[in-house]
Amino acid sequence: MENLKDNILKADTLEALEGLRIEIFGKRGILSKEFIKLKDIPPQEKKAFAQNLNEQKEKLQSVFDDRYKEVKKIEIENILKSEKIDVSLYSNISNKASLHPVMETMDKIIDYFVSMNFAVESGPVVEDDFHNFEALNLPKYHPARDMQDTFFCGDGKLLRTHTSPVQIRTMKNSTPPIRMIAPGSVFRRDYDVTHTPMFHQIEGLVVDKKGVVSFANLKSILIDFLQYMFGDVEVRFRPSFFPFTEPSAEVDISCIFCEAKGCRICSHTGWLEVLGCGVVDPNVFDAVGYKDVSGYAFGLGIERFAMLLHRVPDLRTLFEGDIRLMEQFR
Amino acid sequence: MIVTKSWLSEYLDLDRISNDDIYRCLNSIGLEVDSIKDITIPKGVVVGEILSCSKHPNADKLNVCSINIGADEPVQIVCGAKNVVDAKFVAVATIGAKLGDDFEIKEAVLRDVDSFGMVCSSSELGLPELNDGIMILDDSIGELIVGKELSQYLTIADTIIEIELTANRGDCLSINGVARDLSVGLNRKLIPQEFKPKALENISIDDVAHIDMKDFLNADLSYSLVTGRDIETNLLIELRKAFVGIESKDRLDGLIKYSTHSTGVILRAYDASLFKNAKDRVEIELSSRESGIVEIIANDSVLSTLGVNQEPHSRAINITKKILIEASYIEPTLLVDAVSQKDYTTDEKYYNTSRGSEPELKLGIENILTLLEKNSNSTFLNGTIEVSSNRKKVSLNISNSDINNIIGMDIEKTQNIKILRNLGFEVNSAKADILNILVPHSRPDIKNIYDITEEIVRIIGIDNIPAKSFSFEEKMRLNSTSDKYRAKKEIRNRAISASFYETLSYIFANSDKLDKYGFERVEKELELLNPITQEFDALRTTMMTNLLDSVERNISYGKKSIALFEIGTIFDTKREEREVMSFVFSGNSTNENITNSGKPQTIDFAKFVEKLGAVIGNFELIPTTQTNALIHPYQSADIIIDGKVAGYLSKLHPNPKEDYDLFETFIAQIELDAILPKHINAHQISNFQGVYKDLSLVIDENISAKELMDTIKALNIEMLKDFYIVDIYQDEKLGSNKSISLRFYIQSMEKTLKDKDINKITSNLLKQLEEKFDASLR
Repeated sequence: MENLKDNILKADTLEALEGLRIEIFGKRGILSKEFIKLKDIPPQEKKAFAQNLNEQKEKLQSVFDDRYKEVKKIEIENILKSEKIDVSLYSNISNKASLHPVMETMDKIIDYFVSMNFAVESGPVVEDDFHNFEALNLPKYHPARDMQDTFFCGDGKLLRTHTSPVQIRTMKNSTPPIRMIAPGSVFRRDYDVTHTPMFHQIEGLVVDKKGVVSFANLKSILIDFLQYMFGDVEVRFRPSFFPFTEPSAEVDISCIFCEAKGCRICSHTGWLEVLGCGVVDPNVFDAVGYKDVSGYAFGLGIERFAMLLHRVPDLRTLFEGDIRLMEQFR
Repeated sequence: MIVTKSWLSEYLDLDRISNDDIYRCLNSIGLEVDSIKDITIPKGVVVGEILSCSKHPNADKLNVCSINIGADEPVQIVCGAKNVVDAKFVAVATIGAKLGDDFEIKEAVLRDVDSFGMVCSSSELGLPELNDGIMILDDSIGELIVGKELSQYLTIADTIIEIELTANRGDCLSINGVARDLSVGLNRKLIPQEFKPKALENISIDDVAHIDMKDFLNADLSYSLVTGRDIETNLLIELRKAFVGIESKDRLDGLIKYSTHSTGVILRAYDASLFKNAKDRVEIELSSRESGIVEIIANDSVLSTLGVNQEPHSRAINITKKILIEASYIEPTLLVDAVSQKDYTTDEKYYNTSRGSEPELKLGIENILTLLEKNSNSTFLNGTIEVSSNRKKVSLNISNSDINNIIGMDIEKTQNIKILRNLGFEVNSAKADILNILVPHSRPDIKNIYDITEEIVRIIGIDNIPAKSFSFEEKMRLNSTSDKYRAKKEIRNRAISASFYETLSYIFANSDKLDKYGFERVEKELELLNPITQEFDALRTTMMTNLLDSVERNISYGKKSIALFEIGTIFDTKREEREVMSFVFSGNSTNENITNSGKPQTIDFAKFVEKLGAVIGNFELIPTTQTNALIHPYQSADIIIDGKVAGYLSKLHPNPKEDYDLFETFIAQIELDAILPKHINAHQISNFQGVYKDLSLVIDENISAKELMDTIKALNIEMLKDFYIVDIYQDEKLGSNKSISLRFYIQSMEKTLKDKDINKITSNLLKQLEEKFDASLR
């Protein structure tokens, strides 16, 4: 028996242990053979013999189980060791690409306004004069309506120069109260370092009963929105002029590049112009047949936001599918 | 609009107002400052009086001057400028003056003559170049005190402010106008403008000239007659013209432009002799067209259209003897409408007249006469002859509380009245809440309560209006557009996970490329009239050519695996818009890295389809019906989703591949609507064990996989839950046949299937396929 115990303790593979298990504990193993002897043992000794044999078996079983656990552990250890790799070899091998910074910025802006209970609206990119200009208080020959800026088609239609026509379409197709944004591409005949013939805007419009919507409300949401987009920035409103709003304002944020100390990007003013807004001009409401209402509207260029947020240096690369730019956003 | 601080000071007391104050105030009242620049004159540059000037003994082109610079003794300075001989007062850079970072004035010996300083030209002092040679000073810049630092003259060391004016603010297209607005913003009084020309002739203008007017004119005109003599403009005028960018070749024209820039009144100067009638009288015929346009006619010939243009030959210049000066005003809306209906050639004054020039004509006439008096020996006939439309001021009755509601802030009526009065509005308030307002003629843009509110807002300062959040009735505002945005976002995120970069390209395409590759074009009469460039001269009917351009660029940047997608609008021949999602994959199917030993496999049909599936979900493929020339005839397919063609995919045809010089490339275009999420109801799932069963069938090689699959599907075997092709085999022994291995998943909703149940199904299947395709088991 001591011999068997030594054999078990010497076994160092699961395979050898399995051999020993069959040899010792198997149906035809050593222990079975010993138990067979029982039938030849005189009855008075039987009990003691069987008891002894069972004790031996239990001891051996326990030695075997312990050894099995040990060897199993060693074997697993060995398997694990054999599977060792240099994990750092596999850094950065993802094939994931990235969203376009302009579209990603648009998503972020839409998320904000949807969470503020704005509806998202859309409209065609080929527009007519009424929706793009006339209804927005830009009568023909208005100085703000420069022929050079607009793409025209042979039938007199045009590519929308802003997302504002969606306001007009939405107002005509529904009734106040209105609370909407209109994201989309817009087109102007301009092509240089700071202009591309296509870019993206988001337009916002809120209309409610007369005397209800005020300039102070507009200020409130825009300050909140700009701080959501740019973090802890100061927001400045400057009176300005847009044909479709009055009073109108341009909105600046304190320069995020130089903390308003003045740098090249903010032309040393400490301020970055980011959007235009105002109280909806009554002529716009007249054009869609609304009476006794009040409202505000705002509009912003998404490329501008994307470039500021992600510090994209050149506007035109945004339209060239340049992977060198986009892979930075993976 | 460019103004200077010293020029503004002629209209407004700016004493102890800093540049920062001006910058802040202009911005806050809606006159956006583009730039603000101080002219700095170096220290040590002083007024010098030339006492004598003689030729340099050893150099023809040099002069030796003795100049009083306020020191005990005059200094000797050698000067190379020709015009020094005409000069009395000049700017002298004395010893030690620094005219630049590495340019300090030192004692010098020029051809054996000592020189103790430099007589400066304007550009050497950092001023605009005014003339050839040195800058000659005169007392237009202020009293000339010999030895006084030039930097003390604020007319020279001025501040130049460029304002970006919005289209509605024609009233600020002059120094006078900007000063008027600024006076309210800064709460400073305007300086009354008093011009009293002295050089009056004894004759009254009425004695020699008259206006012949046939119809009512909706315009104001005022005329003055001048006998021109020796017009020479002084330094201040030349300097300011240069500061604000007024260009003129003629001195009289320069003065006219200077005056308009100053007052905002539109002025023209005519050769008065053209107006002389048979009786030797100046006869100005004014005629009104139907559109309200006014023509100025002399002896039956139209010399000028009011606010629009002037015949070049009728212009008076500095040598014209008898000059007829005209000041005019016409309403901008009337003018703009009229001009747009006829093809008038407009001159540079139209920029001002179409935005609204200054209607206070007296100001303009008196200003130009005063300028002429100061800068020439001209004399003037007494008085003016005038035409006035007697236009009424716009009258508005506005409720103060309505103004406050628009702003969202309670402002006392008295404060609103004060602001409006300061801005030149006449305001009365008889009734408690109502303001009776008369709008000044200079503000044709003010028509209603919103315009008035805007005036109040900009003077109060938007920053002083407290933000107030808006309360509104809650309402469900999700709609199909917001659903679509959400779905698109999800699809786009899947696409980037499947290694496609999102791109944006222009909505334009190149017509030659569209033609070359067989894409349809928007019908000619619906097409773009004024494309931005030849490269983008058409509305796109596919975004594929733009994507291929991007691939080409990326290859040139050294990229080896280029996968792009774009969701955007394309047009059909009728210019109907629709949104599609396009894909392109070129070159390596993955990045080079350790897993592929730096040699990734090139993209192929199967890999492309798999990637596409990761984005748009399941689809079937059938041979394509597309005919464009990007399509590879043997590796292309229409994409079928829910039984409908939703787009196509293809290997790029070798011809375009060569044109663009690309790697192996695959393309796909899918209708966006076809891949938006759909509502799905779940089927009941069986709890009994199912079995997989493989069958290899030998069938004619011309039978497509789809045909086979559709046939099996049409058998509608209830227990056949799924089946798909796992292998295709072909060899010589099979001849014109092929072997297709199909895997079937068979499962019952009611029980665990036994072998005989399964065999029953497969043998039935086989039998049907035998009948249909002459198929046999391999």
